[in-house]
Amino acid sequence: MTTAAWRIVETAALLLEPGEREVALGDLTEANEGSLRALREVLGLAVRRQANVWKSWKPWVAGFGLALPASFLLMGASVSVSSTYERLFDARNFGACAWTGNEGYGLLLCHVLLLAGWSWTSGFVLGTLSRRTLWASILLAVLPCLFCFVRFRIAFLSKYSLFLFVAPGIVGLWRALRGVKVKSSLALLLAGSVTVLMMVAESKEALWILNWALVWPAWYLVAEAKTRTLKSAGCRVRK
Amino acid sequence: MLGEFEYLLITAAAGLGQNAYGAAIREEIEVTTGRKCSIGALYTTIDRLETKGLLKTWMGEATPTRGGRAKRMVRVTAKGAQAAKDFYTAVARVSRHAAWAAGGVKLGSRA
Repeated sequence: MTTAAWRIVETAALLLEPGEREVALGDLTEANEGSLRALREVLGLAVRRQANVWKSWKPWVAGFGLALPASFLLMGASVSVSSTYERLFDARNFGACAWTGNEGYGLLLCHVLLLAGWSWTSGFVLGTLSRRTLWASILLAVLPCLFCFVRFRIAFLSKYSLFLFVAPGIVGLWRALRGVKVKSSLALLLAGSVTVLMMVAESKEALWILNWALVWPAWYLVAEAKTRTLKSAGCRVRK
Repeated sequence: MLGEFEYLLITAAAGLGQNAYGAAIREEIEVTTGRKCSIGALYTTIDRLETKGLLKTWMGEATPTRGGRAKRMVRVTAKGAQAAKDFYTAVARVSRHAAWAAGGVKLGSRA
């Protein structure tokens, strides 16, 4: 096999996990496979591995239960926060209450904290659930962003106000991909805080009912932390 | 009950003994069956059988013929050997009256 052809096969092999990549390339080298057949073999294995991952519930929940709906909801929350900020800090927009109602500084802070909490927990849970199908989850998160970005029509707001949630979301995702585990106490504090803030906003009629869908990632972290604690306690008892 | 390819894989691995690893099993299957064996089918089946406890795998040493890359060693467990034996027995029993069954294999009286 020529060096150039083998480079293509090695590039395709990046779709595989590192251990399996080494084994597959080693097998193909040993069998002296032609470049076309080697490429077909590697791609075939990569497709089978991806298909196998999608047999689990996790990538489906991550993609269609979190990435897609959260993207829309978080964009809405981002615009709401931006709009309230503009109304409170820029008198020219005081009359433009369509997006925000009558929130004052207190509720603005509440919404900012909620946006950060929702985004971080959503990003973290996305990284936890869909490590091997992250490309699909990101695609399902980005498509609504593009859709709304193109259609954005609020005169006094920048289009980029749609994406306030992105930075905390990416931080959460990054932490999950680095293998960080959220302790039980911290998860409970996070979920509890987000829920209390939502109840405060709800009591002031400053929370869109669908935003309650953004609370489940925080409680998922609590459940996951508890499960981990129970498993490690079980292991210690067995020893 | 094992599937056809699972049986081929376990039997090939059992036959290779200490030298059973991915590429060797693949070559054995291709030579004995006369049909191509894809790496995708091979390793997904190995994983499935390992999950069921029928095989055990580990990373072996790298060799120059493999471009300095490690191989995935395979060993058939006792449970895997029993599963293969059950499959073979079932196929032999159901085939005993088939016209293509060589020599009319005697398996004892019908249960």
